Amino acid sequence: MSVNPSEAASLLRSVREPGAFARLARGNLELWVNLVVITWAVVFAIWQGTGFAITLGTVFAIWAILAVSLNLVVGFTGLLSVGHIGFFGIGAYTVAILTSNAQYEQLRTEAIPTFGWPFFAALPVGIVLAGLTAIAVGTVFNRFRDDIFVLVSFGFTVICFNVFLNSRGLTRGAFGIHEIAKPEIGGWSFGSEVAFLILALVFLAIVVLISWFIVSSSFGRVLTAIREDERATEVFGYQVTHYKLAVWVISAMMAAAAGGLFASWTTFIDPNSFILLESILLVSIVILGGLATIWGSILGTMVFVLLEEGMRFLPFLPDEYVGQARQVILGVLLVLLMLFRPQGLLGRYKL
Amino acid sequence: MSIRQIALVCLLTVLVLPAAACGDDASDEPFKIGVMESLTGPGETYGTVSSQAKQLAVDEINAAGGIDGRMIELIVQDSKCSAQDAITAYNKLTDVDGVKIILGTSCSGAMLGAAPLAEADGVVLFSGLATNPDIAEAGDYIFRTSMSDAQLGIDTGNVLWADGIRTLATITEATDYAEGVRRSSVAQFESLGGQVVGEERYPSDITDFRTQLTKLINANPDALHIAAQAEFSGGTIVKQARELGYDGPIYGEVVVIGATALEVAGEAATGVKAITADLDPANQKAQEVLNSFRETYNYVTLPWYLGSAYDDVYITAECLKQTGDDQDADGFRDCLYEITWSGAIGDNFSFDEKGEVVGLSNVVVEVLPASQRTEDNNGYKVLGGAPTQ
Repeated sequence: MSVNPSEAASLLRSVREPGAFARLARGNLELWVNLVVITWAVVFAIWQGTGFAITLGTVFAIWAILAVSLNLVVGFTGLLSVGHIGFFGIGAYTVAILTSNAQYEQLRTEAIPTFGWPFFAALPVGIVLAGLTAIAVGTVFNRFRDDIFVLVSFGFTVICFNVFLNSRGLTRGAFGIHEIAKPEIGGWSFGSEVAFLILALVFLAIVVLISWFIVSSSFGRVLTAIREDERATEVFGYQVTHYKLAVWVISAMMAAAAGGLFASWTTFIDPNSFILLESILLVSIVILGGLATIWGSILGTMVFVLLEEGMRFLPFLPDEYVGQARQVILGVLLVLLMLFRPQGLLGRYKL
Repeated sequence: MSIRQIALVCLLTVLVLPAAACGDDASDEPFKIGVMESLTGPGETYGTVSSQAKQLAVDEINAAGGIDGRMIELIVQDSKCSAQDAITAYNKLTDVDGVKIILGTSCSGAMLGAAPLAEADGVVLFSGLATNPDIAEAGDYIFRTSMSDAQLGIDTGNVLWADGIRTLATITEATDYAEGVRRSSVAQFESLGGQVVGEERYPSDITDFRTQLTKLINANPDALHIAAQAEFSGGTIVKQARELGYDGPIYGEVVVIGATALEVAGEAATGVKAITADLDPANQKAQEVLNSFRETYNYVTLPWYLGSAYDDVYITAECLKQTGDDQDADGFRDCLYEITWSGAIGDNFSFDEKGEVVGLSNVVVEVLPASQRTEDNNGYKVLGGAPTQ
């Protein structure tokens, strides 16, 4: 949370004493940001009716998991990675391949083996697989820092995309995989939109708890020290590479969990969901929300989803321009935010 | 303080304005039809033409008095080319706008993302563009007037064999459309006794194909088959193949004879054969549609898909006339199963039990020399229907 304990206390006091709130609000930009975004989200949800809000809620939860987990690497440890979407893809594809029930043999397209696993059996496999991949690439990536690290993580995303696209016997290449199973446990199915939203929010809560636990532990303090000065941390006797690898792997596993959820939610995935652009979008969300703040990433995702989907409702544009206009406005708003608040909505550090 | 206030005002404006715009009354409401097309992203050309053709058809119908006096209103959403955007667009249309009939999408990936939801909710999804063979199995409420890639592949295989081609080299863009075409073309070609001597794939973002082409040409095939998704790369491959000294026949699909592809390839494209769905020059309706589209938007591209999108709206209007209710998706679906239609894309076509269009056929076309290409002939001449065996 961006609100520190003393602020929280004065916020509580302001409930009894309206004057205190005015004092607190004056010049407190972060409080305003929180208020505006949350009010905006609530008003948007109420105004649109529950159905669409549930869809947006699910999109939000999945992307928030990604943003929070990426913030562990980018914000807290200072490793600017654009490779996160690769792990997201590994999770998604594992769940897709293991749970899909589609009968491809009838069609004149690529056929892949069907396993028909339940979601909750496939998801851990995806998470472990992403973790193992992260250990493998992380050991190599540990040799790089700063700009070079960005480039190698860029390479990782490109490699992942090409593996998804070209392993036709496993992923059906460009055809994508469909009929991915919805989560089901002990006869209780998460097939409905609401149930799925709740499941996604539970996952988000778990990820936030783990992240919060990490950053408030001594482990997290070493990560922050690495971001501030890697050499100095090393001099103090910390095995910097171990810490970096550990947070990298944890973050990758969280991304894979989001991927599994995503695959099951859309019930259809193809390699186009895991392109570099998505990765850059994700980094923008993290920077937009603010580096090194968990709540900032959640808020950043909220703003992003509201902007992106909220602009489906722009009434003053003819239909044929709405698509383009959404992208232009989103771009302009991001530029403005970066101009006036380079540290992001709630961040304390600049990149 | 001031920047903060401006930001606040901006955000509130985005919020409040739409709310003010939603305030219509119930008497004599128009029929509401959802449209999902790729208005941005990789499928932008297809999506834009398709949504403009639909708007054109709707304007015509409304100008002629609507359906028994009731107008049609299209609610257009951008589904990009992705499953995720198709799902949010679908939910926006069904939950917020209360639409039960959706025309779209332009991309097969988006279609396959939204189809399970439409099937579960009992919402009709009706596309004029998506060609992925998997869509045939997508469900009871899923229809299309575009022909499956599987059919196109069978026709391509037959044409190759009938032209005396016995060995083939293929170069394929790694996308679902191009892959689907290649796979079913090769399957049909091989089942007839043909042999594939070279097979290359390329990702969508490269522009130099000389390495792959050199390999393929060295295999000495009777013909080269290009399955491209983007017109630019299709045209470039034709050009570079000729530059490398390949003078054998080249076969392709709609992409390699598109306006951009022909412009890129120039004279090199002369004689390229394509197996494609095309508007029949003798079809009066098709010519009328193309003319009025050109008048309204000042350009014409992808004529067949334009016609397909246009016909979809008229088929929708006919079915709405029968059911008289835009909320009656089941009635609409039954109407589609029974309807036989003659429009811009062909005469007497209908839908089979999988919602696939039947009664349409692909044609073989040949690209004309650069000097004879005009806006009216689109740069090629139609040789005739694809042989059935």
